[in-house]
Amino acid sequence: MEFKIDKDTFLKALQKVQGIVEKKNTMPILSNVLIEAFQERIFITATDLEVGMKSSYPTRVIKEGKITVSAKKIYEIIKELSDEEIVFSTRENDWVDIRCGKAYFNIVGLSPEEFPYFPKVNDDSFIRLNNAILRDMIEKTSYAICHDETKYNLNGIFMKAVEENGNKRLRMVATDGHRLCVAEKELSDKTTKELDKGVILPKKGIFELKKMSEEEEGEILLGFMDNSAVIKKDNTVIVMRLVDGEFPDYTKVIPVNNDRIVKINREQFLRSLKRMAILSSEKFKGIKFDLNGGTMEISSSNPELGEAREELEVEYAGEPLTSRFNARYLIDVLSVLDDTDIELRLKDEMSPAIMKPAAVEGFLSVVMPMRL
Amino acid sequence: MTRTILHIDMNAFFASVEQQANPALRGKPIAVIGSATRTVILTASYEARAFGVRTGMMVHEAKQACPELVLAPADNRKYTHTSRLIMAMLREFTPLVEPFSIDEAFLDVTGSIGLFGSPSRIAYLIKAQIRHRFGLTCSIGIAPNKLLAKLASEMQKPDGLTVIRPEEVSRILDAVPIRDLCGIGKKTERQLALYGIRTCGDLGRFPVGVLTRRFGVVGERLHRMGVGIDDSPVIPEEEAAEVKSVGHSMTLERDVEKREDILRYLLQLSEMVGRRARKYVVQGKTVTLTVRYADFTTISRQAAHTGYTNLSDEIYGAAVEILDGITLLQPVRLLGVRITNLRHYGEQLPLFVEDRKKALATAAMDSVNNRYGNFTVTYGSLLKEDAGAGVISPAWRPEGVRCVEVK
Repeated sequence: MEFKIDKDTFLKALQKVQGIVEKKNTMPILSNVLIEAFQERIFITATDLEVGMKSSYPTRVIKEGKITVSAKKIYEIIKELSDEEIVFSTRENDWVDIRCGKAYFNIVGLSPEEFPYFPKVNDDSFIRLNNAILRDMIEKTSYAICHDETKYNLNGIFMKAVEENGNKRLRMVATDGHRLCVAEKELSDKTTKELDKGVILPKKGIFELKKMSEEEEGEILLGFMDNSAVIKKDNTVIVMRLVDGEFPDYTKVIPVNNDRIVKINREQFLRSLKRMAILSSEKFKGIKFDLNGGTMEISSSNPELGEAREELEVEYAGEPLTSRFNARYLIDVLSVLDDTDIELRLKDEMSPAIMKPAAVEGFLSVVMPMRL
Repeated sequence: MTRTILHIDMNAFFASVEQQANPALRGKPIAVIGSATRTVILTASYEARAFGVRTGMMVHEAKQACPELVLAPADNRKYTHTSRLIMAMLREFTPLVEPFSIDEAFLDVTGSIGLFGSPSRIAYLIKAQIRHRFGLTCSIGIAPNKLLAKLASEMQKPDGLTVIRPEEVSRILDAVPIRDLCGIGKKTERQLALYGIRTCGDLGRFPVGVLTRRFGVVGERLHRMGVGIDDSPVIPEEEAAEVKSVGHSMTLERDVEKREDILRYLLQLSEMVGRRARKYVVQGKTVTLTVRYADFTTISRQAAHTGYTNLSDEIYGAAVEILDGITLLQPVRLLGVRITNLRHYGEQLPLFVEDRKKALATAAMDSVNNRYGNFTVTYGSLLKEDAGAGVISPAWRPEGVRCVEVK
């Protein structure tokens, strides 16, 4: 195999797969990237058997072929090369030659025959999504994904198509067992039977999808095959194995009769929480909320440091109420919203609270309080 | 500034407490033994020590040395209770009281001398109070640091009072065998003997360079010990370093082989660990199982639980998983369960109803057990067991997460 490529294209292609390659090094081939050259393109593939990515770029192919090399090393090498044309070629026994200007590298690779099979994706049965919408939905939910691997069914985002009054919407849900976020957006395209039932996309795949949705504007195609989700944008395909498990019935967790409604300016609330949270620590996470008429006093107390308190003006007409929350959970939510006002819907100090934008629907978060 | 440190060491603590509780035992050779049927002598009264009865002896050996020996089964609650009262009394002399074990404490009285007169007077007041209120005796060492205070309290027993003044340190240390220093064990003693070091004087004069080459950073410390320097502060309990693990182990009444028996003990230990972790609001990520065989060989295996937990059933589950990964070679004499990698969990309530029910049920169970005693409400398979900590561990403290409730 031999091809010539400019540094920028090659570097971008290799950078894209760095997040995919296996870091635990259980199977050496998984720390490698598969490089294929044919039909005037190179194809770069990486996988950890859970999430795989393949993308292609135009190049000048001199001799078709394929090889695998360490994804990390080849990236480091290409990054440090000069801005001249790179000549990439293979020798027998899986050795790779890289020439650029006066620099020459001869590095060892592994046989492409050992590289795991990457499924062939056919173009039909994809639904079309706007990348900005996906980006927004992932941003509003992904922080709540559970990192405790024993709760594997929570290690991802639950995605489902729902239909209400003839309106089709795409819904994403994430929870770590203490808080839960639900984001919804109009779905303009048809849905699939997998989405109608609901699927769990794995955490790692979600982060790759988020990166993809942050690139230049464009459509993202979503489809399903063999217990995997297939995502396509431009010249890149991501295949991720769906989390094999039942997502808990989150609808039961969303309270319906929280009738103590507090309206707060989001910016002020967020800044106040950040100030109060300075005194919280691993040991003393809780921040206390005292609601009394039009004021909410937020306070934190840390026996090792001291205490802090602040009053916020809010719109509230209910009975006085005291509750305690992990400040982090509230800050996470407030940070991803951009609305002027938010609404807190409370019931009592032991029941889950809802936090959502005051004016619009399409997002809500449920946060469980801490014991007083 | 020269500090004044006191080391208080209760004399034959368990045995003396028993003799106070039961006047018929006073003046007689008695020995406190563990509640299990086969344990060794925990403490012997001075009357028994005169016959050669020592801590650690098997009961039949002790009986041979002293046929009239009266055996008293350990009543750990009595000892922890008395210890707590004594520690509280010591705090009336200085806030800087560091409990070192159930029957030992260090006091930094540097700032209290103005109030009470002299260090010796403080020591006499303490001895008088302990005798008057508890009928017990203690040995007290007074010295410029903890190392020497502990050494001094060992010098005269029982009911002793030994002062090491700063100007006497080198003269006194010169002939003291290094094994008498707290912190030098048998292994270090043997290693130092290879260099011809037998007394503290030898150790202090030995070139530091050679010691650090052989022992690393500890070499420097050994040298300082040899010349009687110890800058470690007296740390009152509330400032003590964060605890790094919560664990329990127990020597079984008899060696067991059957899986179901082992599992029952593991469940009991897991509940003890879980309860104590919950009481002090910590969760652990790693679970360790310790198994000691009949011949005393001991193995420990640990497994990282991916989430943090302090729920007894989850700790038990992890312990059983470890057990299933080991092939037991002999009957089991002792079992231990421990959680490490601790973090505080701040009482966050779970969102999902099932998890919440479990958390609230556990809390309810704990509050019943807090009020009516451990294992009042417990797992069905434990109902027949006489559960609880049988032995007071050296890490026992009157307060905080190390305060293990004993039976």
